Amino acid sequence: MKQRRKERIDRGIKARSDDVFSLNSFREMLYVAVPPLAPVLILLILPLELSSYWQKVLISTCVFALLAMSWDFLVGVGMVSLGQALFFGVGAYIAGISNKILGLPIWIDIPIATILGGIVSALLLAPVLRLRGVYFSMVTLVLPLMLERIVEASGVFGGTEGISGITPFPNSFFESYLIVLVTLFALFAFRRLITTDYGLVLKAIKDNDRAVMSVGINIYWMKAQALFISGCVGAFCGAFITHVYGFVGMPSFALDYSILPLSSAVVGGMGTFAGSFLGAFILVPLSEALRGIGGLRIVLYSFFLVFFIVALPEGIFHYIQRKYQQFERWVEVDK
Amino acid sequence: MLEISNLMVFYENALALNDFSMSLQAGGIIAVIGSNSAGKTTLMNTLSGLIIDTKIKEQRKGGERITVYGKIIFNGEDITDLYPSERVKMGMVLCRERHPIFPESDLMENLRIAGYLRKRSEIKEMIDYVFDLFPTLVRLKNRKAGFLSGGEQQMLTIGMALVVKPSLLLLDEPLLGLSPMMQTTLVDAIKKIREQTGLTIVITEQFARPILPMIDYGYIIENGMLTLDGTGLALMENPEVKGAYFGV
Repeated sequence: MKQRRKERIDRGIKARSDDVFSLNSFREMLYVAVPPLAPVLILLILPLELSSYWQKVLISTCVFALLAMSWDFLVGVGMVSLGQALFFGVGAYIAGISNKILGLPIWIDIPIATILGGIVSALLLAPVLRLRGVYFSMVTLVLPLMLERIVEASGVFGGTEGISGITPFPNSFFESYLIVLVTLFALFAFRRLITTDYGLVLKAIKDNDRAVMSVGINIYWMKAQALFISGCVGAFCGAFITHVYGFVGMPSFALDYSILPLSSAVVGGMGTFAGSFLGAFILVPLSEALRGIGGLRIVLYSFFLVFFIVALPEGIFHYIQRKYQQFERWVEVDK
Repeated sequence: MLEISNLMVFYENALALNDFSMSLQAGGIIAVIGSNSAGKTTLMNTLSGLIIDTKIKEQRKGGERITVYGKIIFNGEDITDLYPSERVKMGMVLCRERHPIFPESDLMENLRIAGYLRKRSEIKEMIDYVFDLFPTLVRLKNRKAGFLSGGEQQMLTIGMALVVKPSLLLLDEPLLGLSPMMQTTLVDAIKKIREQTGLTIVITEQFARPILPMIDYGYIIENGMLTLDGTGLALMENPEVKGAYFGV
């Protein structure tokens, strides 16, 4: 009888060389291709299969996934933000104003809101770039709440009534596919960006900012750029949702847009973007699914959160990734 | 090339550097020798401009008041108030003490981060030079920097400074925490850097024995004050230096 032994699949693939992968069979190709292809295929098929209610949930999930990834990106640079709502709200208001008041079409106001939102967010946080840790977090937490109160007290941009009657997207499939494609693009773009020299420098700022300074890089300029990138993503979400609901108002600065992305990234696993993405795709639909049970919803939801954080402190994605890499297969022993 | 005149640094009321002056010609190696809390790191941070950043940070959080007096002239230009990044662009690069590497990134990534502002061809050329200088690092290319030994991390730190292509290299306690054998390796490497690139080097160190023989000129500081200066050989022969640093 032939002798067999167990071998980890990735041992065969990461063949004896640091950067070169050798794929010897269809199965090995599948092993490498499934992780990046699975989310793409699932997300592209989902809008076709879901009811209109769950399509809205999918949109909301993608928006929170984007916010979670932008939060994860900032954390990677050493800036723990508690105020993604700032980016979201700024983008939402710019889109609302440019569409309703300035009369710009949807195809122009969303890109404008994205870029301008990124710039405004970076400018608002520029004075606190030198702050680190909890000090930076506190400022980011307070800014959206402050802007919300300014809108309320001064009555600008519709005050408590907000701005309604904003041009909607042509149809629900279009809006679903737009947000799905942007989410997938952001996921792969963020993952690519962080491995480039630019991304390495951003990561290094978190590791040892003085050492980065020592090699002549202006870390505050780099941090401002990171805020701009993260701000653009957040602002796009705000602008997009404004057109989905046809309304923008004070709720755009709600705490939900700060806390849920953070929870998604923590539950999913930080530092990979895929973790934040996965976290949002667990928490947001879960929250909707629990809607039917009434008052106990929040209790159960909190229970799930606590369970994931206690049982898998590294995050679900890191756990799945580890297990995936530990897949084994039987191989015949060479004699 | 570098002219420091009457440099004084206060941390609140404590005087870390007191009326320190020195000058340095291009292509030379000078050392500032002193025991702990002599003011060596303060001198390096002041030269590299990092103290300006610390000063602003402390000011913003209501911490220690840092005051700097005196003048630093580099290549004929007053750089006393310049930010660290601008000083690096002028060619002044600091290699800080205690191996400041990026532990989560691998060795090659560390070198790429250091050369971020340079052209790709320059980075490649300098990385090749670093591997030529420290052959030990070649086989560790893909290892996470946090897992390197102290000596390897120090080599990497110097390598990172070299990738920036400095004209003046500031080495803050490069021999700290290293075994005598590793100290010799590093001293040889520093000599080689000077011979091969003609780089001007300022070293601060508390281990005088391996450093003094290779320097052109040395300064001894204690409690922030310049107590003695002279050529490397003269300092080695000085009975006070022998007593304080060689234990003779």
